[in-house]
Amino acid sequence: MESSRVRGDSDARRPQGDAPDSLFRERVVQRLSIAAGDRDVPSSMRLLAEYVGAAHFLLARCDIIQEQGLEYIISSDWPFDLVRRMAPEIASSYGKSTELEKCLSLFAPTFSFLPDDVLLPANIDRQYCSLSLCVGRTRYALLLLFPQGLILSQERLREVGLLAAYAVSSSGKKEPRSERDFELTERELDCLFWIAEGKTSDEIAMILGISRNTINNYITSVMRKTGTKTRSEAIAYAVRNNLV
Amino acid sequence: MSDDASTAPHSLRSPRPASRADIFPRLVAMQKNLRARHFALFRITGSGLPGKRKLVCEMENWGEDNAGSVALMLDACGEMMLDHIESSLLPLAWTGSNQKGFIQASDFTPLVRQLPSDMLPFSGLAFPVRLGATGNGYIVFSAGSLNLSSDAIVEHHVLGCQIMMDLLALDERRTVPAETLSDREIACLQLAGDGRISEEIAENLGLSVHTVNAYLGSATMKLDAVNRIQAIAKAIRLGHIH
Repeated sequence: MESSRVRGDSDARRPQGDAPDSLFRERVVQRLSIAAGDRDVPSSMRLLAEYVGAAHFLLARCDIIQEQGLEYIISSDWPFDLVRRMAPEIASSYGKSTELEKCLSLFAPTFSFLPDDVLLPANIDRQYCSLSLCVGRTRYALLLLFPQGLILSQERLREVGLLAAYAVSSSGKKEPRSERDFELTERELDCLFWIAEGKTSDEIAMILGISRNTINNYITSVMRKTGTKTRSEAIAYAVRNNLV
Repeated sequence: MSDDASTAPHSLRSPRPASRADIFPRLVAMQKNLRARHFALFRITGSGLPGKRKLVCEMENWGEDNAGSVALMLDACGEMMLDHIESSLLPLAWTGSNQKGFIQASDFTPLVRQLPSDMLPFSGLAFPVRLGATGNGYIVFSAGSLNLSSDAIVEHHVLGCQIMMDLLALDERRTVPAETLSDREIACLQLAGDGRISEEIAENLGLSVHTVNAYLGSATMKLDAVNRIQAIAKAIRLGHIH
């Protein structure tokens, strides 16, 4: 949804000071370097939120997004009750676009309204902004709450997407395995790759130089580990999660 | 946003380009703004298997005099670049032999990964772009020595991502299946990808199993796939199903 509050950049009001934009951005990046160098994702995100004039931020991993639970949220200073209330909506909205659509809209800010029954903090606009960024094979969503009446800069929002990716890249944390993404072995991944190429078990057996029974065992194991019931579903899972 | 808006490269809000010829000048503009010598745009091809991924140069302006330079660069840095993009979106930089220090803003250093020096006769700055399951790659600029502000790096990285998205949009238009998939075909593919077997799909859609299999078969042909499983993989990558 397009927001009426996003203007051309010449109209954008800078959140602080009168420094020329490039100098301001330079300072933000310098401070980000320090925070990122310390692997401090929350501070980095806090800094980026300030940069775009946001009151609150929420950074979440999309690959382990679920309707229940909050483990997919990496860092946030949204009021907790709001997070809990919005978590299912965030999860379901992720499933509404195709992978290709997501690829074509990297860093692109989109706007949605918090439901009417939600209690907002004082002076916070009901419209929130979300954008996605990718680091490695993982997609992240960044959700921002703004004070009422703020005019937003599209360009700055996109930069924040990139800078958030920098912050995550620097954190270097070994990402926690999702519940379902257990340790698919290299052989299992090989099988998935060839299945996605349309090969049968016999053909894969020939390609990898092992017996057909072994191949079928690997596939069964993959389906068990990923909680899928058919080969079709296993491949769909693999493609959706960038495993192949 | 910046003072030199008139000379700034392509705006973020322009419509999608009509062809690759529209993208080339934007890369040239970026190169001039960075005061670099040449650029090269790489796409990552090959699927998930580590051994299968490769960087393929899709556009460059090295010119005939420097014909071997792209290959030289891939030899020296290719694998490092592929590894890097698996876990990081930070720009990469390297100093060429006989060159002075490359990136001026020392306080930006933690945000630019330095590759080993003296691997190549030229210095370089490589912007990784990660869009998702597809459309990933690097935009690389080569130079003698560059004095860049962190500001310029951020600005051009964002522009680079925009270019890669526009390229993907162009490709997507080119690989539209000869006939578009019908609603029924899409529905059958989606349900199959969600783990339903033909009988379940038939029940769900109020069709016979025979008809469901026929739809899956025609979808497979339209997607130029070998079997329905590959058809599902392609359908997800191309955005026909979720």
